[in-house]
Amino acid sequence: MKTTTKLIALAIIMVFGFSAKAQITANEIVEKVYNLPTGEDVTSTLNMTLTNKSGQTRVRKIQQYFKNFGDVEKSIMFFMTPADIKNTSFMNWSYDSDKSDDQWIYLPALKKVKRISSDSKSDYFMGSDFTYDDLGDRKLDADVHKLLREETIDGHACYVVESVSKDEDYMYSKTITWIRKDIFVGMKKEFYDEDSELLKVLTIKKVEKIEGFWVITHSEMKNVQKNHKTTIKLSNIKINTGVSASKFSERMMTRGI
Amino acid sequence: MKTIKIKGLFTALMLIIGLYTNAQNIELSGFARTYEGILVDNGSFGIVQQTLNLNFEKRGEKVAFKANPMIFMFNSDSFDFRMREIYMDLYFENFDLRIGQQQIVWGKADGVFITDIVSPLNLTEFLLPDFDEIRIGVIAAKLDYYIGNSTIEAIFIPQFTPTKRPAAGSIWYIQPDFPATPTFDWTQSEIDPSLENSEFFLKYSAMTSVIDFDLMGGYTWDDNPTMHVEKVFGMDTSTVPPKPGLIGLNITPKHHRLTVFGGSFSTEIKGFILRGEAAYYNGKHFQTTDPTAVDAIIEKDYLNYVVGLDFNIGPVKLSGQFIQKYIIDHNDLMTENEINNMATFLARYDMLRETLHLELFSYMGLTNGDALIRPKISYDFDDSFSILLGGNIFVGDTEGQFGQYGDNSMIYTKIKYNF
Repeated sequence: MKTTTKLIALAIIMVFGFSAKAQITANEIVEKVYNLPTGEDVTSTLNMTLTNKSGQTRVRKIQQYFKNFGDVEKSIMFFMTPADIKNTSFMNWSYDSDKSDDQWIYLPALKKVKRISSDSKSDYFMGSDFTYDDLGDRKLDADVHKLLREETIDGHACYVVESVSKDEDYMYSKTITWIRKDIFVGMKKEFYDEDSELLKVLTIKKVEKIEGFWVITHSEMKNVQKNHKTTIKLSNIKINTGVSASKFSERMMTRGI
Repeated sequence: MKTIKIKGLFTALMLIIGLYTNAQNIELSGFARTYEGILVDNGSFGIVQQTLNLNFEKRGEKVAFKANPMIFMFNSDSFDFRMREIYMDLYFENFDLRIGQQQIVWGKADGVFITDIVSPLNLTEFLLPDFDEIRIGVIAAKLDYYIGNSTIEAIFIPQFTPTKRPAAGSIWYIQPDFPATPTFDWTQSEIDPSLENSEFFLKYSAMTSVIDFDLMGGYTWDDNPTMHVEKVFGMDTSTVPPKPGLIGLNITPKHHRLTVFGGSFSTEIKGFILRGEAAYYNGKHFQTTDPTAVDAIIEKDYLNYVVGLDFNIGPVKLSGQFIQKYIIDHNDLMTENEINNMATFLARYDMLRETLHLELFSYMGLTNGDALIRPKISYDFDDSFSILLGGNIFVGDTEGQFGQYGDNSMIYTKIKYNF
């Protein structure tokens, strides 16, 4: 089983409302998305369904916690299903500085917490269509952004922004993101492979306002080349409930929820 | 292997299931597995094993309970019932207490046991079982006291449990080469449970943004018995004419006290995980050919350590370890080498959305030039059902710990259902 970086960072995007300026630039749009204020702590249950091209599905259920400590954000996940990975846990500490994330995994069969490398951004998370990079906080200045046009999706006016990585070895040649003009939440994202062919499409199915924050509660990533997809649904979302700092520890990794 | 009657096994199983069905909110999980291996050398079935693993768990805010019985059926008529774990957890604000039979895993090394010496090993199938199945649970009281991201762990084990060795007749049993007919006296190999004979372990561990590390100490028993050898001299009647000489060996296996200090660490350096672990063993008894040595043994200290590196090349996960055992103040009359070097290698590749797994793991004896090579491929038909094909290939010097099993190279399959 693989690990993740900051799943919550994408799976839950919380925003306060913004009013769009008339002459906004691509960088300003992405910066608003990047700097969206988040709750101090978040608890949620994540259901991830993997569907292959034959329509067969596999389901993963995860209980996850997130807390912002200022200069470091900590998250911890407890895998509840399927049976063979039950009670596995994963913890990530993400820093404001350039320091790479610290990650640990607890495998109940081995009864051991292992430090693992966070240097696997292009790997797919638990066999899904999301890479670790898709799920993590991509740095604002990692890409060159260009405002292509404005479009309406599902009745929502959106900016359409193209982002090209400054790193030539990046797994995507470019991404195109549709960002709602009213609340600066991404509604759709296209990922293009190294040959500039469309590889994946991320579609936001549902956004809800919870505790004053906009939260993406249902999203779908489809690999259009291999015709399989992954849906993520969040439930039992609780924000700013005062999750204890001790939740993000080896003690909790081994004990579980 | 401890074999019990089917009737007793059935009764125990029904009792457990009865407890489960009568209790409320006890979670049941586990797996059923069929495992068959064919010896490459002669085509015979080296392993025919069916396994049922049951996990009963219930956790509350302040207490938790776990029981993990495993039932093994070998061939069609031999059963082995193992209670791997059965314990209760008590949770307090700053500390946890676990009491009962439990498996305790220490250290940062994979597949080798440096500071990981609290739970003994079941070596009845050599090192082939999965690492979660190779340890034997110990009856212990374990206290974990938490200070931020640091933990002080204290363990008290009132009853010593030794390493479990292959029985004579097993393909994993190696008949020692004796110069004369041995007579074994096992009466002194048992350690009576008492406060004086208890084992104690203490560990301090910390998890930080820079490094994870731990320091440990243990006042324990050597899990492996020392063979005290008394030579019997007399007239050797097998020669004509009879001559005086060595006519027998009285061998008395005994466990001795060991004092162990050590530690381990793990840190990330530019995408590489660097791991290390070391332990100093005080009071180990080794075999010697020194004619002046009492019982043909000599007491020496030794150092055992490992350095390992985990990294990725593209989607392939790689790991390598170097392990060295160094006997301090060694002399040439000792039967064991002063230095024993070993290495491990692991490569793993998950593909087809993590349903197909390719893995190659190998132990390499650098001192003797032997190895155990373990390729395997597994496929998950769904989240519950998987099939594995693998090989255990023993190569190299027949004096080495791996090469000695050259006749036991096998291919095998495991089909597993998780629930």
